[in-house]
Amino acid sequence: MKSIGKTRGKTLFFWSILLPALIVMLWLTVYPMITVFLTSFQNYNYISGRRRWIGLGNYRNILTDQVFLTSFKNTIVYCFSTTFLEVFLGTALALVFYGNFRGKSIFTILLILPMMLSTMVVSSVWKTLFHYDIGLLNTILSQIGLSRVGWLIDPKMALWSLVLVDVWQWTPFAFIVMQAGLSSIPQEVFEASVVDGATYRQRLFRITLPILRDQILLLCLLRTIDTFKIFSKVFALTGGGPGNATETTSFFVYREAFQYFNLGRSSAASMITLVAVVLMSIFYLRKMLNPREA
Amino acid sequence: MASYVTTKHSPLFPILMIVILLITLFPIYWIVVTSLKTPVENILPVPTLYPHKFTLDNYQKVLLGGSLRNLFNSIFVTAVSTLLSLAIGFLAAYALVRHKFPLKFNVVFLVWIIIVKMLPPVVLAVPLYEMFSKMHLINNLWGLVVVFQVYTLPYCIWMLFGFLKTLPLEYEEAADIDGASRLQIVRLVVFPLVQTGVVATAIFSIIVAWDEFLFSMLFIRSPELQTLPLAIVGYIGEFETLWGQLMAISVLAIIPIIIFVRFVYREMASAYSLGLK
Repeated sequence: MKSIGKTRGKTLFFWSILLPALIVMLWLTVYPMITVFLTSFQNYNYISGRRRWIGLGNYRNILTDQVFLTSFKNTIVYCFSTTFLEVFLGTALALVFYGNFRGKSIFTILLILPMMLSTMVVSSVWKTLFHYDIGLLNTILSQIGLSRVGWLIDPKMALWSLVLVDVWQWTPFAFIVMQAGLSSIPQEVFEASVVDGATYRQRLFRITLPILRDQILLLCLLRTIDTFKIFSKVFALTGGGPGNATETTSFFVYREAFQYFNLGRSSAASMITLVAVVLMSIFYLRKMLNPREA
Repeated sequence: MASYVTTKHSPLFPILMIVILLITLFPIYWIVVTSLKTPVENILPVPTLYPHKFTLDNYQKVLLGGSLRNLFNSIFVTAVSTLLSLAIGFLAAYALVRHKFPLKFNVVFLVWIIIVKMLPPVVLAVPLYEMFSKMHLINNLWGLVVVFQVYTLPYCIWMLFGFLKTLPLEYEEAADIDGASRLQIVRLVVFPLVQTGVVATAIFSIIVAWDEFLFSMLFIRSPELQTLPLAIVGYIGEFETLWGQLMAISVLAIIPIIIFVRFVYREMASAYSLGLK
């Protein structure tokens, strides 16, 4: 049956249906990445269009630039603290709300609402809530006799306010992922442990959490990937300020390119970001491509 | 005994539930009430918890200010970019599942997809901007449709790959024996079998595209071509923010997306069950 003609036809068919996506990916992602890579070794003046090779100059320049280092630190702090808080709270809630209870599905559906809103909608409402003079949060604080907080204008506070917004929006996601994981563990496992006289703590740390280990890791990865990109929230809520208190790597790349037209520096910062992303993703990639291994 | 924890029977359980719902839903409530207050009521030193003087003025101003245009732009760009991604993403995912390309190309392609998914999009912004300028795709809604593929295509390929992978080969083999052409098999056998997966992918892709801000901001200049996120930022950007109008246009941006909530709930619950990833 299987003639050579047929095999060749099959190969041709699969190449041709892959082709559109392949072209789009090459055009919109591979080619730009190569350009960014090359530009990162150049002094590129956008206005005159002149390019000059300067070797590692941009990298040296950036890695000693206080603003870049701050933005990188801010991104890491933001990324890890949101991920930690969301996964911790989400897991805790999933444990408390385990099993069936009245109103479970409506409860969960209502919890999904925040993460479906556009970032810009979320940012605007928190901007009103955070407002120093007329915001609800400060009103509550001052009415119970505490002093007002400069949520978005205090350099020590601003980054944590962004964290707060993300935690508000995405903890429900962590909750649902953990709930789904938890509910797919067979009841018998817990019943057996109860029969064997395990205490709640023992069950939690010896049975439940170890079973859910992969689920927790997956969740951490999904949230790290997402929060590492943070741009729109910064743009809408703080503009990177006060000072550089909420400057993130994405914001740095954006500013260098589209406000200062330092395309070489912007590209070098992009490449550093790419390396960070690839390093973070190695584990994820292994997991995703080899589900058997898990 | 079947119950894992006992907190459910304690009176604290419903209280905790209410507190969590309050925290989660309050900002959404705040969007709605702020949009229904007068400008004066919105800048009172002590905010009112509900509109003391109910008004629809904010909505009227926002609608007259061209936000229907923004809404239309958002719907157009989101719908077309999602359809495009679904079409080419579905074919690509099918090819990756059913054919072994030489030189481990399947793995290379998927790894690249994941890296693009993880990469902050701003990294690609400069070269894309230069390319799109040359092609007259700047300040053009079709340009946005194309550039949104950076987000939606990797997303669609990845999700559809997951759905197609679970499909048993037998149906396609049977259709092949019955003399169906390859394209017929894809269209008449494979596609109907993963239809729910395609719908799920579409909805998540819609949510991603609806939220997009960066490229829209960089690529669109004319106010009449702005999408909703851009219009929203426009309302923040003024020296004096008109909170009522800002929240009215936010409500406009919420409604079209929130109709999918039940669906997202079902999908998420099944997508993240253990062993089903």
